[in-house]
Amino acid sequence: MTESKAYNSNFSLKINTPIVSVKNISKRFPGAVALDNVNFDILEGEVHALLGENGAGKSTLVKILYGIYSPDKGEIYVRGRRVRINSPKDAIKHGIVMVSQIPQIIDRLTVAENIILGLEKYGLTSRISEVRDFIKVKSKEVGIAVDPDIEVWKLSYTQKQLVEILRALLIGARILLLDEAITFLPLIEKRKFYKFIRNFVDEGGSVVLITHKIYEAMDIADRITVLRQGRVVGTVRRDEVSPDDVRKMMFAEKSAQITYERLPTSKPRDVVALEIRDLWVMGDYGVHAVKGVNLTVKAGEVVGIAGIAGNGQKELIQAVIGLRKVEKGNIMLYSEDVTNKGVAKIRVKGVGYIPDQPARFGVSLDNNIEENLAMLPAITRRIIKWGAVRELARKLINEFNILTPSSKAPVKLLSGGNIMKVLVSRELFVAKRLLVAYNPTRTLDEVTAIMVRKIIKEKAAKDGVGVLIASEDLDEIFQIADTIAVMNSGKIVGTFPGDKANRDEVERLMVM
Amino acid sequence: MVLVKRIKPLPLGGILIPLLSIVIGILISTIILYVIVGASPIITLSCVVSSLISPEIVLTFLFLTILGVALLVAFSGSIWNIGAEGQLWLGTAAAAYVALFTTLPQAPIVAKIVMVLLAMVLGGAWAAVAGILRAYLNIDEVPVTLIMNYIAYYVINYLVRGPWLGKETWGYIRTDMIPDQVKFVLIPGSTTITYEVLILAVLTIALTYFMLKYTALGLRIRILGSNPDALKAAGVNVRALIITALAISGAIAGAMGAAQLAGYLHRISYPIESHTANYGYTAILVAWLSMLDIRAIPIAAYIVSALYQAGISMQIAGVSGASATYVFIGTVLLTFTVLRVFSEYTIKIVRR
Repeated sequence: MTESKAYNSNFSLKINTPIVSVKNISKRFPGAVALDNVNFDILEGEVHALLGENGAGKSTLVKILYGIYSPDKGEIYVRGRRVRINSPKDAIKHGIVMVSQIPQIIDRLTVAENIILGLEKYGLTSRISEVRDFIKVKSKEVGIAVDPDIEVWKLSYTQKQLVEILRALLIGARILLLDEAITFLPLIEKRKFYKFIRNFVDEGGSVVLITHKIYEAMDIADRITVLRQGRVVGTVRRDEVSPDDVRKMMFAEKSAQITYERLPTSKPRDVVALEIRDLWVMGDYGVHAVKGVNLTVKAGEVVGIAGIAGNGQKELIQAVIGLRKVEKGNIMLYSEDVTNKGVAKIRVKGVGYIPDQPARFGVSLDNNIEENLAMLPAITRRIIKWGAVRELARKLINEFNILTPSSKAPVKLLSGGNIMKVLVSRELFVAKRLLVAYNPTRTLDEVTAIMVRKIIKEKAAKDGVGVLIASEDLDEIFQIADTIAVMNSGKIVGTFPGDKANRDEVERLMVM
Repeated sequence: MVLVKRIKPLPLGGILIPLLSIVIGILISTIILYVIVGASPIITLSCVVSSLISPEIVLTFLFLTILGVALLVAFSGSIWNIGAEGQLWLGTAAAAYVALFTTLPQAPIVAKIVMVLLAMVLGGAWAAVAGILRAYLNIDEVPVTLIMNYIAYYVINYLVRGPWLGKETWGYIRTDMIPDQVKFVLIPGSTTITYEVLILAVLTIALTYFMLKYTALGLRIRILGSNPDALKAAGVNVRALIITALAISGAIAGAMGAAQLAGYLHRISYPIESHTANYGYTAILVAWLSMLDIRAIPIAAYIVSALYQAGISMQIAGVSGASATYVFIGTVLLTFTVLRVFSEYTIKIVRR
């Protein structure tokens, strides 16, 4: 388990008036979970975590604070004065700036150009040389190098998020809303951000950290407010509670389902489901991201690839599914060579795929659950049998407890976690022979994540499906994998049986 | 005052908003015509009202319905086919070839079917060229389809002036009349409407409705408009899908081109650009006005054809020039473009 290292300050509840106060906010969506009389204070100089399971209403609340949604009822006060926030522009006037999990920057422009553009949008100006200096100084302070004159498409996800946060600071953020903005960063880099955030609040800023990860909240927050089904369960000080207390607040009686015990090792069949031989795959920047990987997944076996983000896992997974060209080497699916056969031919052979950006590579947000099922060649060949599709949709909604007004509601009305459930349930359904997954649970709350892992494991053990899973979450790998392969710099640097693997050894190989 | 996004589109918005746009658009056009050319509002409005019930609009209505459906197929996938005009004229040329230069007209029914089918193949192939460029080289289909309209015009112009020039043309540059037995059969009491065009319109709507609603192809074309990456990851061949969507769109336009020849024009006259009714362009308005709902295509086609007719009546009445035709259509479309925002958004008055 991740230990909760203290990036907390000597924060004490000073006799502070809240800098931002949310009073009795309600917001209704048809069928979906809404906000119900939410009260919430942000103090000066604190990191305040807003924690909740998927669909609890966290994102809705910050979007109201940032002027993207307007509340049905309730008031917002900034420094004791009632304000109306009808657009991000209004929010920024009060020093409230949001950074979301998806970078909102233009790939073709340089970092500095992007920031200048962001300032101009809000009527602010700055000379490019000043912006450049600011980026240099701040990126040094964080410890993540960003060249201000580099085009954004060359940046890693972490660097992009840093650019987003720096832009927010330049816009004049005093209250920074981080909507899962650092949740998906690799742990080592996340810690660098923690220090940076701590400096920001020490200088009088405030941060609202929206997350579904308890450990993220425990690592950095001074206070934690827990939301469940659109209501505030309570606000607590970090130093007064244990992770278990918070978990109970988040999930109530469901928290008993949370366990990080290893799932029972399944008995692999004597058939090789997937064989990867000396695989070489190019990354996005013209260098090899996968360098001679050999890997075997037996039917009924779960192979987990552990590694820090950006060590070639994404490219490996994409090559297996046919989304990325193989330069050299072979991919064999049940002894059939499918190297560079293309995703269409590979998928219809009973291969499920769970990507890590569900909204982009998984589902179509404008379409409903039924349509998102029927679009798969593995489910529909020519004529759509809507009756059967509807039945399948209902079955998956029940089985995975997907919160949706109906199977005919556009997927975009669902919360992030529920969108992921639609995707995961569909892919598990079509994975008759092999399931390939990349960070399958990272947008899910603990209860759902553990449920998904159990279902994946069961799928392997019972139906004899081979599973290849790459995850940056080591807890996940240790919980689910029968075989753990550690990937570093495009190579597999160690393979261990899941029940005998030593965590320290695995971590050492990951950072080696 | 702020615009707030509706959670669900306005109920009945699909009907209310186009209707409201038409009323407002006609009123604005009336004012424009009064101010600029001094057309009496009473004459203008009576021209509009009489056009709404004029039997002369039926043929235009049927053609625009077919073409509107053709464009809807491509537009549903966010593929902006601006080339229906060229695709339909190639269909006309294909049908003319069968009617004039083969022996098929001896078997009229076979000839008619072959005329339509060949027109579909040619129209589809013409559109597919833009599809291939878009799918493999990522070249924007808008300029390509647009430019190909002119290529189509000039290819046919060349044919009509040269190898296809008729023998009995009395000095006009045009082809011969197609044989009587392959002309479409007029409905009793009408001078323009034929059974075949009617059947073609009904079939086009029915088959396209089925395709979009009940086939994987139709669903994937619709999803193509919102998330091509998800389709790719799902294992759909997105390149083939783009080409297919454009080919279907072009094929339907081509069929209408054959119908225009056999049902109405009966010959091709040089130069195309001054003989065309520009249905291929007008149909863009029909597809847009339908808000990409196939059930609204006939309604949109009816409205556009009535406004089109109103412009012509104004011209005949001597109150304005040819441009009046497009004043109506343009104004209604602009009004609609503004108003349709309210199907997705609602205005909320907020005190500052």
